Amino acid sequence: MISSSRAISTALFVALAAVTLVAQRPHSNTYDETRRITVQGPVTRIEWAAPHAFLFLDVRDTTGVVRTWAVEIGDPLDLEAGGWKPTAVRLGDIVTVEGAPARGDAPQVLANAVTLRTGKRLFTTPAVRHVTAAAAPAPRWPDGQIRLGPAPGAKGYWGAPSARALVESGGIRIAMNDDGLLENLSDADRVAPFQPWSRALYLYRQRTRLKDDPLGRCMPPGGPRQFQMANGFQFVEQRDLGRILVLHGGGDRNWRIIYTDGRPQEEPAEVVQSYYGHSVGHRDGDTLVVDSIGFNERFWMSAGGLPHTEALHLVERFTRTDLNTLKYEVRVEDPRTYTRPWTGGWTVQWVPDRDLEESFCEEDVESTLR
Amino acid sequence: MRRRAALAWLLGMCVVAIVSAQEGHPLSGTWSGDWGPSTAQRTHLTVVLNWDGKTITGTINPGPNAVTIGGVLLDVTNWTVRIEADAKDAAGKTTHIAAEGRLEDLGSYHRRLTGTWTQGDVKGDFKLTRD
Repeated sequence: MISSSRAISTALFVALAAVTLVAQRPHSNTYDETRRITVQGPVTRIEWAAPHAFLFLDVRDTTGVVRTWAVEIGDPLDLEAGGWKPTAVRLGDIVTVEGAPARGDAPQVLANAVTLRTGKRLFTTPAVRHVTAAAAPAPRWPDGQIRLGPAPGAKGYWGAPSARALVESGGIRIAMNDDGLLENLSDADRVAPFQPWSRALYLYRQRTRLKDDPLGRCMPPGGPRQFQMANGFQFVEQRDLGRILVLHGGGDRNWRIIYTDGRPQEEPAEVVQSYYGHSVGHRDGDTLVVDSIGFNERFWMSAGGLPHTEALHLVERFTRTDLNTLKYEVRVEDPRTYTRPWTGGWTVQWVPDRDLEESFCEEDVESTLR
Repeated sequence: MRRRAALAWLLGMCVVAIVSAQEGHPLSGTWSGDWGPSTAQRTHLTVVLNWDGKTITGTINPGPNAVTIGGVLLDVTNWTVRIEADAKDAAGKTTHIAAEGRLEDLGSYHRRLTGTWTQGDVKGDFKLTRD
């Protein structure tokens, strides 16, 4: 009986660890990219799993003690797009790794360079996943409407957003990294017109390096963030059903529905709150305009930690200006969080001749280290 | 067997709680815990707080003995909170409630609010965790 209880207690611990130590945590929170270290040792394990591929090395320290180090080498989809396969390195190969160490004392490093004893550098080819197709007009449906997906017989999806975090449009560049971490916290007031509480909460999230990001717990990327995910998205226009599906390549690989059958927006009190909200859309010339309400509060609507409440109301405008370019603009209205409505946006690129690839958010090998 | 079932239930509740995190206004939601002048004398508390964009409103112990919260102040410079309310005892006598506390683990799924609770002449500590 004691052993059963112990087993269940252990299962409880493991379950909690699995839920809290999952993939897609911001790099800024996991790694200290202001530092550089070098480790060397034989490869003992290779984990080629999306969204993070890892090598494991047995590294002997100066006292002779051997510890297993985890070396994060990137997204396998990017690596494979760059021509790399897991067979590029073999178990037992001695490799030297330079990179950013994990925060704390975990034996983990984000690799900048992986080098074999022969001097051959591995996994360093730049990703070529987002090759742009030749310039061409946006494809259209027989009635002249712009297609948001591929032309008949073609493949492709949207990726490579021009911005990785939502900020208020103002023409002034705000310095931040890909995780949405500001270089200068004093720029917070230029990010959005915060209420005092939401500004304080945004700064708290920034100061704690986004450690509580729900995306890191595999929560869906609701709001504008869904169009900034590394693995892209796709529109499936079901015109006969009067709706458009938005398929997400990353996050939890979920989908969103935009109703285009002319139905009115629901009353806010009647909507079941969700990560993607309740969306109705219509065409305004070549632009799809989508009105969304009914969001829950369980996600950050952008990298960087922008807060919102259930009062969030988004109006998104999608304009495919040519085959390769989709302009995204969003008007954010949440009087409980922001002092006035504001807008932001970016462009995304068409990734031709490829389908969205499988990239589930799930427990990854990081959790096996702790 | 009962112990195993209880542990399994605990596991389920923990997982459910983790995936039900709220990320909006730090005080919005239902908080539960207790207060009292000593560890031996504790009174259960459920506090429901709402943010409408301008003010924080709420209720202590929703139900037949509910107390409407008269005012809530949140100081975002240090995440301290002051709650004021007037309760009525069985005889209809008004008793003032004043709670002063601080938010802890602000980014946690279950942030905590702890501090001092004064109800009439009785003073003690309180601990609340957001459900």
